[in-house]
Amino acid sequence: MTDSDFETSRRHFLHSIALAAGAAAAPWALGAAHAADTAGARVRIGIIGVGDRGSALLQNLNQSRNCVVTAVCDDYPPNLARARALAGPRAAAHADYRRLLQAGGLDAAVVATPLDLHAPVVLDALDAGLHVFCEKAMARTVEDCTAMVERSRQHGRVLQIGHQRMFSPAYLRARARILAGDIGVVTQIRAQWHRNSNWRRSVPPGSGLERKINWRLYKQHSGGLMTELACHQLQVANWFFDAVPTRVIGSGSLCYWKDGRDIDDQVALIYDYSGGRKLIYDSLINNRRYGCEEQVQGDKGTIEAETAQMFTETTPTVPGLQRMLRDIAEGLYRSVPIGGASWSPEIPVTTPGESLGRGPYEETLLQLEAFGEAVKTGRPLPDLLRQAYHASIASLLGERAMDTGLPVEWPDHLRMPKEAA
Amino acid sequence: MSTIAIASDRFPAMGTRVELHLFGRGASAALRPLREVIERIEVALTMHRESPTTRLNAQLAARREALIEEPLLREAIAVAMRMHALTDGLFDVASTLPDGGGPVRGGLAHARLDADGMIHVERQLSLDFGGLGKGLALDHCAGVLAAHGIGAAIVSLGESSILAWGTHPHGECWPLSVPHPFRPDQPLQELQLRDAAISISSTIANGASSPSRAPIVRPAGGAAVTMAATAIVVHRSGARAEALSTAALIATPQERESLAAQAALSVFECDAGGQACRLDPQVKAE
Repeated sequence: MTDSDFETSRRHFLHSIALAAGAAAAPWALGAAHAADTAGARVRIGIIGVGDRGSALLQNLNQSRNCVVTAVCDDYPPNLARARALAGPRAAAHADYRRLLQAGGLDAAVVATPLDLHAPVVLDALDAGLHVFCEKAMARTVEDCTAMVERSRQHGRVLQIGHQRMFSPAYLRARARILAGDIGVVTQIRAQWHRNSNWRRSVPPGSGLERKINWRLYKQHSGGLMTELACHQLQVANWFFDAVPTRVIGSGSLCYWKDGRDIDDQVALIYDYSGGRKLIYDSLINNRRYGCEEQVQGDKGTIEAETAQMFTETTPTVPGLQRMLRDIAEGLYRSVPIGGASWSPEIPVTTPGESLGRGPYEETLLQLEAFGEAVKTGRPLPDLLRQAYHASIASLLGERAMDTGLPVEWPDHLRMPKEAA
Repeated sequence: MSTIAIASDRFPAMGTRVELHLFGRGASAALRPLREVIERIEVALTMHRESPTTRLNAQLAARREALIEEPLLREAIAVAMRMHALTDGLFDVASTLPDGGGPVRGGLAHARLDADGMIHVERQLSLDFGGLGKGLALDHCAGVLAAHGIGAAIVSLGESSILAWGTHPHGECWPLSVPHPFRPDQPLQELQLRDAAISISSTIANGASSPSRAPIVRPAGGAAVTMAATAIVVHRSGARAEALSTAALIATPQERESLAAQAALSVFECDAGGQACRLDPQVKAE
């Protein structure tokens, strides 16, 4: 497949799933598909923070068709060494992100640092005139999340946050089916993220790097399960309800991994939405039986978004067997029309007669390419930042509810209005 | 109007929809045992959540042998090995996991199951019974129906694996008409069945080409089937029918001749215009 063929098929892929989802379901997807093709110049990216997630982003950027990593930065030498190996000899390497910004020659920054560093790095990058892609959650505090949004607007720069489910065909298709009323009136979403691991990364003995490497385990640096896991699913719930919560109550505890960390290892929350709708959410990291799932429950059916399956309240009957039963009841002897490929409750992610394919179209790559297109045009894809902002606020307000033991109302000033069409 | 007793049940299982329709005396009493046997097989063989199969795969990934305690899983492996031999390796539930690469089909040749229920493998394997589980379920359903003295029944697992038990209440056999995948008003094949299982494997319609479905691949080399085809196999055993219908889709013409000696087999290449070209040799009676 030539580069032109790939670009065409990737654009066709985005276009077909965007059409399937509909502009109302995912305005950013159509934007990604229709982005002007300014072939030739790749977006020059400096990636700041090249740990586990940063490395994954770097590898996706290496595969992208419209971005090139020209600088890497990490203040942990092993991470920087890995980043240099992944980015190649032409990429500049820095241990201090301010040096990367000062060096210039970039169009955009990709930020994948520990959560509490998102805000200072992103604000500095925006001040340096760069567009920014930042991993979720946006920031450690509500105030920092708001500051990042305001700074991007002040400078007229794209700020996109890493919520890849918004580029997943399964989720886009699920959203379209919900909008079409296929599962009826949705009143509740249940979501959980269960893992069985201590979440620790190895720390060189005597290095004093425990909090640097295991930042996810300490409230100073991270909201733990809420910002690292729940934030994804809070975005999905807000997206599928097309609303932000009105209130949250919650309870968290450090129940199992009592090894010096101070984040909770078990959380359980209820987010209220308008009209009495609810998100029931829990997460823990000492049992993986029930894994990661969002169950969207309506009066006509249920969508399980992670596995792209839709279950109607009544399993649809087989027409040929219905005819058979009528014939037998009426004393008729007639052939039974039945047989074919196995029926599946999966939400089809094919457009009629066409496969959307996999492989090159994985959602992390798609969202980075979409970011690249947004940088080229200087215009952010519609509604992405609003979705991300509300997801981050939801995770932080949930943490606040657990910490205080009190219900937390969603303040009006933390609602970002939808953009005018 | 007929006064024959009819008992029916419908439920989701094995990743699809199940319909049970039993006729005559004892029909109601057999419904629950049928559902239970299908659900037990699903619990034992599913890959969609933790199960004896996923735990076995985890054990085989760590070391080269494991004791299989779940009787249904042990049975499934034994049947899979027989089908692997019957189809000269075309049907294979095992993927090997070579170093540095993704899974490749063609792995069951590297496995051995001993009389004590220990499975020994020469290299890392992963077992997936997605292409056999429904057929096994039909065989167990036949056992339940026989034990309950049921004279007539249709068991449909996703409409791709069907047990036609006994005869139609008003005739001498079960007349089934498999529709053309692109033209449902047109029959692809008409069948006259009695105490028989049918397995239909197809690369078209019902989202068969969805990226979320595992592609049908040749074990040797892993090449995916790209032909728009449907294979229909009839046999007393559901497991054999299912194994052969999968194998028939990936077989060369010479290999299909060999498969056709094992069961009544038809393979059609179908197009969206409603044409169907039959590829197999003349169907042989069992």
